[in-house]
Amino acid sequence: MDFSETADRISRKFQKSGQTIDPKKIEGKLRRLIEEFGVQPSEAERSVTNDLAKEFNIPQMGSGGGGGKSGGATEPKKIADMSPEEWVTLEGKVVALSTPASPAIAQSGIIADDSGGIRFVAWAKSNAPAMTVDSWYHIESAVVDEFKGVASLKIHSGTTVKECVTDGALVPSTVPVVNLHPGVGSVRAKVIQEWDTTHERMLQSGILGDETGTIKFVIWKEAGKEKLVVGSVYNIFYAMVDEYNGKLSLNLNTATIMQDDGDILVSGGNVAVRGALVHIAPGSGIIKRCPVEGCNRALSRQNYCPVHEIQPKFIYDLRIKGWLDDGEKTHNILLQRDVVESLTGITLDAAKEIAENNPLGMDEVFLQMREKVLGRYVTCHGREIDNRLLVNTCERLTFESGEHAALLNRAGGAS
Amino acid sequence: MSTNAREIGRKDGSFEREPARRVFASELRECRYDFKEGTDEKSPTFVLLPTGERCNRVFIVGTLTEKQRQGDQNIFYRGRVVDPTGTFFIMAGSYQPEAMQQLAKIEAPAFVAVIGKPGLYRKDEASTPMVSVRVESINVVDKDTRDLWVLDTAARTLDRIDIFKTSTEPDVIKAKEVYPSIDPAVFRRAAYDALAQIKM
Ligand SMILES: [Zn+2]
Repeated sequence: MDFSETADRISRKFQKSGQTIDPKKIEGKLRRLIEEFGVQPSEAERSVTNDLAKEFNIPQMGSGGGGGKSGGATEPKKIADMSPEEWVTLEGKVVALSTPASPAIAQSGIIADDSGGIRFVAWAKSNAPAMTVDSWYHIESAVVDEFKGVASLKIHSGTTVKECVTDGALVPSTVPVVNLHPGVGSVRAKVIQEWDTTHERMLQSGILGDETGTIKFVIWKEAGKEKLVVGSVYNIFYAMVDEYNGKLSLNLNTATIMQDDGDILVSGGNVAVRGALVHIAPGSGIIKRCPVEGCNRALSRQNYCPVHEIQPKFIYDLRIKGWLDDGEKTHNILLQRDVVESLTGITLDAAKEIAENNPLGMDEVFLQMREKVLGRYVTCHGREIDNRLLVNTCERLTFESGEHAALLNRAGGAS
Repeated sequence: MSTNAREIGRKDGSFEREPARRVFASELRECRYDFKEGTDEKSPTFVLLPTGERCNRVFIVGTLTEKQRQGDQNIFYRGRVVDPTGTFFIMAGSYQPEAMQQLAKIEAPAFVAVIGKPGLYRKDEASTPMVSVRVESINVVDKDTRDLWVLDTAARTLDRIDIFKTSTEPDVIKAKEVYPSIDPAVFRRAAYDALAQIKM
């Protein structure tokens, strides 16, 4: 039996109280209790923790290690009530299996009960029976671990796993996007945007949203995985919620996804910003896109797609990336082809003509467009996501004599 | 309020860009106080407007009346941009070749929009600092854009004057301290005059 994991957990706990204890020492104590005295692993962990707490005179340590005050680790606990560093017994349904990240792992995936879902890992050394998706299991003496804010259930050699029969179907409930937290989550949301994928193994990435907020999503290439359709609403059960740099994202590979006929009014859906275009970024103007079905990535000047390599039969497109500034805040904006055409008065065909016949090529289109829009006042309507305004319409501001009169009045009034 | 926005931006790990303030020439030229926020090399530098707002970037629209090429080794351009209240001094050097090329191409007189960083420049220790705007971007625009800018800048200036009267924001308190002899009422008057000059 391997005690290093438990020993590390105890060691980390003491680390938090400023006490460094050699995990080897802890491991020795655990081994002695479990192998020589036949003590249950959960009880051994509690006992060793208490022992060390006494030895180092740390009072509050004693209560944490055990299987809970009410009836020990054998009584099933709801997934939503579990907390890290806890020994638990639960009854749940395996709702997803994922490819194990290392040979030390026999199985990984998501297990759920009616309170929620949690990621799990069954160590190869645990010799636990192979679990199958959609079956229910009674799992005794597993450990809840936490890494980067994500709770995970560890099935180790001291854990018993038995298939069980449970009546009644598991009906997962969804939460508002704004309430998601790292771990496992279910949402009802609309696909509002699809991005150029940046990785060969990526099937699709983009933005999902509901009435409360938006979140990035990703689907990795895997047999049976399909792309979501932009503009459609889906019920997504048991996706993995990850956190990078303080921002959440959803990995949908574990999720059960069902299309929904309804619609959602996504938050941030109609923002209007009035201001001046103070910067037109490189990469604006006419661009070339990859012609491979479903790809559509912007190509480099050498017609190179990061996934499909050289693509001489590219497709032309227009876009403007820049900053819209209202004097208080600067908004990143992205204008797509139709908006660019109406704002600049340069159509895609005209831009193509310039790009192919002017000595400066595509740069000439950039310069002409910049000349037409930089420093101009506009009102943009669109959706603001992650500090970027995706513009649906962009109109030049016109001089309002009513506004002029009101300002004269205000400036001339008593000071 | 502006301090708050920046703090939130940093906490996010995302970079909050400094907005381009709207200010008339008659106010910008009164700036005498500048400061850096933060200690590292890349922390932004601000000039403090007499109406109590910090300013790292400006958006100005006016008439380019003059431009000169200067320097032998290090070529740079200087220009004057006039609004209804006074003159902005702008410059673009080889450290920002694109801005310099943009300015080089423009024939004065012309309506221009300028995005740039204001800074205080002193000939020597004893002399009064002069405010000059280092150009990030410049473009020829139309008279409508100039008129819209006057409306926008008048509104922003009046907003700042209103806040100045009652606010306890550190920047406002600092402005009262470093510009004791400036009465913001002069900027209200300037805004009125600017408004009165357009679209008559
Ligand atoms: Zn491609």
